[in-house]
Amino acid sequence: MIELQGLTKRYGDTRVVDDISLTVEQGEFCVLIGPSGCGKSTTLKMINRLIAHSEGKILVGGDDITTLPPERLRRRIGYAIQSIGLFPHWRVADNIATVPRLLKWPSSRIAARVDELLALFQLDADGLHDKYPHQLSGGQAQRVGVARALAADPDVLLMDEPFGAVDPLTRDTLQAELARVHRQTGKTIVFVTHDMDEALRLASRVALLNAGQLVQYDRPAELLVAPANDFVRDFIGRADLGLKLLSRRRVEEYCRPAQRTRNNAIASAPITWQVDADDRPMALLGGRLGESDIARTVVNPEWIATPEMSMKEALSRMVWFRVTALPVLDNEGRLLGEVTMSGVMGHRS
Amino acid sequence: MSVSHVPTSDAASPRLVANRVLVTLLCAGLLAAWLLPFATMSPNRLASGQTVGLGEALSAWQLSAFLALWAVLAIAALRRPLPRGLAHGVVLLASLGLLLITLYSLGDYAQRTLVERSPSARVSQGSAFWVMVFCCALAAIDAFQRASSGWLLRLGYMLIAGGSVAMLFASGHFDELSIMREYTNIRDKFADQFITHLVLVGSALGPALLIGIPLGLLAHRHVRLQGTLFSVLNFFQTIPSIALFALLIAPLSALGNAFPLLGEWGVKGIGAVPAIIALVMYALLPVVRNTYAGLKGVPPATVEAARGMGMTARQVLWRVEIPLALPVMLSGLRIVTVQAIGLTVVAALIGAGGLGAFIFQGLGQYAIDLVLLGAIPTIVLAVIADFTLQMLVVLSKPASTRR
Repeated sequence: MIELQGLTKRYGDTRVVDDISLTVEQGEFCVLIGPSGCGKSTTLKMINRLIAHSEGKILVGGDDITTLPPERLRRRIGYAIQSIGLFPHWRVADNIATVPRLLKWPSSRIAARVDELLALFQLDADGLHDKYPHQLSGGQAQRVGVARALAADPDVLLMDEPFGAVDPLTRDTLQAELARVHRQTGKTIVFVTHDMDEALRLASRVALLNAGQLVQYDRPAELLVAPANDFVRDFIGRADLGLKLLSRRRVEEYCRPAQRTRNNAIASAPITWQVDADDRPMALLGGRLGESDIARTVVNPEWIATPEMSMKEALSRMVWFRVTALPVLDNEGRLLGEVTMSGVMGHRS
Repeated sequence: MSVSHVPTSDAASPRLVANRVLVTLLCAGLLAAWLLPFATMSPNRLASGQTVGLGEALSAWQLSAFLALWAVLAIAALRRPLPRGLAHGVVLLASLGLLLITLYSLGDYAQRTLVERSPSARVSQGSAFWVMVFCCALAAIDAFQRASSGWLLRLGYMLIAGGSVAMLFASGHFDELSIMREYTNIRDKFADQFITHLVLVGSALGPALLIGIPLGLLAHRHVRLQGTLFSVLNFFQTIPSIALFALLIAPLSALGNAFPLLGEWGVKGIGAVPAIIALVMYALLPVVRNTYAGLKGVPPATVEAARGMGMTARQVLWRVEIPLALPVMLSGLRIVTVQAIGLTVVAALIGAGGLGAFIFQGLGQYAIDLVLLGAIPTIVLAVIADFTLQMLVVLSKPASTRR
């Protein structure tokens, strides 16, 4: 979808982007990451020609971007930056309608599209439609920014540290939402950040840049298990490499069949789940740290896992509740299987 | 458990007075009313007259209304018993009332006195009158500041205050006053000069905006141009207005003589054209500076987003930059308009006409009423222009941020 070929940007004699070549496939979520001044933002802005490149070629959807007038190109590519990029004198709906209006869509189609996007980003409540940007919370403003970028249904979405200015809790929600929107829409996204956790959480591919050069371009898991050199290892953070890896893994990858029993008789296996008639776990027999194997612990709604949960979170819950296993539940609360402390060590790809 | 509702800050504070500005104004007003003449009476237009105090000029009910309103204002200045919000409202109403009583009493006094005197006798306002009017206006302005009221309330108040004063004038209540008799003498000329004044201001503002806004854009786009541009404009601003009018006489009359066609259009040393040129030169700096400052205040991220969305340079300018810079640009226009209304007075010196003509004529004849007939409308015009443009500045901001 996007192809950079020997892309270089020179300011005088300094090469801020130095001979970068990479391909972002259709539907890929590509994160450009690196220390500040590594050229990641410059690279992004060269894709929609906000910055002109000095050498090399950029293809978007197979077309060389220099063959199109810049405004035409940009209307085909979504662009989202931090919330201050919203137009302060326009209401939320007008902000979202920016590109469709530039493309001269009929107004009924624009209104329908705005409503659709407000719904997609769960912004349809509270009369947000007619609010001005400064009346929004940080999280809402960011959602409007992303909705605006998606308004004309572009195939490609460029995002320049869109969540850089919000608090960690909101950022977490926004990341989850963006991941959902990416799954739902299948857009090709190029996303700039300096936050490795954000990159590992969202990316299907990570491009790690340093001093204008591409150091490694790989799937996040590969970056973690096979870092190209010490710079990569250092940048990811040596200390919690293992936890980062787990944050990329989902519980379903580690889930294994659970031993069940209908009564609270002492079980044969070291970890056994007492379930009710509907197969909902009621208690854990054994498996409690520091207690004898015959301990019975009542399952509480906090110490369960779901298939979509990250293994990092599952591990954190095991540590917090001092258990060596968590029941994995489906949407109806039925027991699908279990993840165990020893199981965490078992899986590695 | 019982909870005491006595506000501790109030209980702890020994201060009796909440609004010291108002107390000062009230003292000044009372002192002036007591010590200075409220009106003067003279046998004819040019002779100096005898002074009349407030006690003598006001009828019994006027004096009691005056003192009652004064007392209400004094109470409103105290920390108790009125809560602050209510006190501001009371000050606004009472000061308007006091202003109207003052104006009404003066007209009434003139009517009562002149019935029994010769037709050439004149009653004019004295210095106590001016001090009291001034104090009322300041008290109202101060109350608006303290209440940090919204623009709608300010507009309404101005309309009511202006409307009631205008109605007093229209009803002929002031016709016996010296200044109004002077006005009756020159009524036709007054209308002409008033319109000339407005036309001069208008024909200076048009070119100033047409030249100034593009120059401001240019200064914003080309950083290197800024230094030269602003030093030239600053230089204009430093020339005293009378000197600038004088300086323009020689080159313009030469131009008018060299090209008769230009001369026919009015290009000559004196008259409207040099006045307009000078006014434009003065107006340029504020227009250019505020256009530049307004554009500079647009967040770079907003402009980048606009370009990133695919707006052309022209669309970025018209849809994003200008709307966001508009409040600052309009405050530039406000400065320039008020400044031009004042400077146009001086333009009368080079024969351009306008309200200044009465001022200089009055100064020459030592006829103070004539001077006031030029000065008061100029001040009223400036206040109206200032207020209107202030409202426009407020309205040019997004609805939810208006104050």
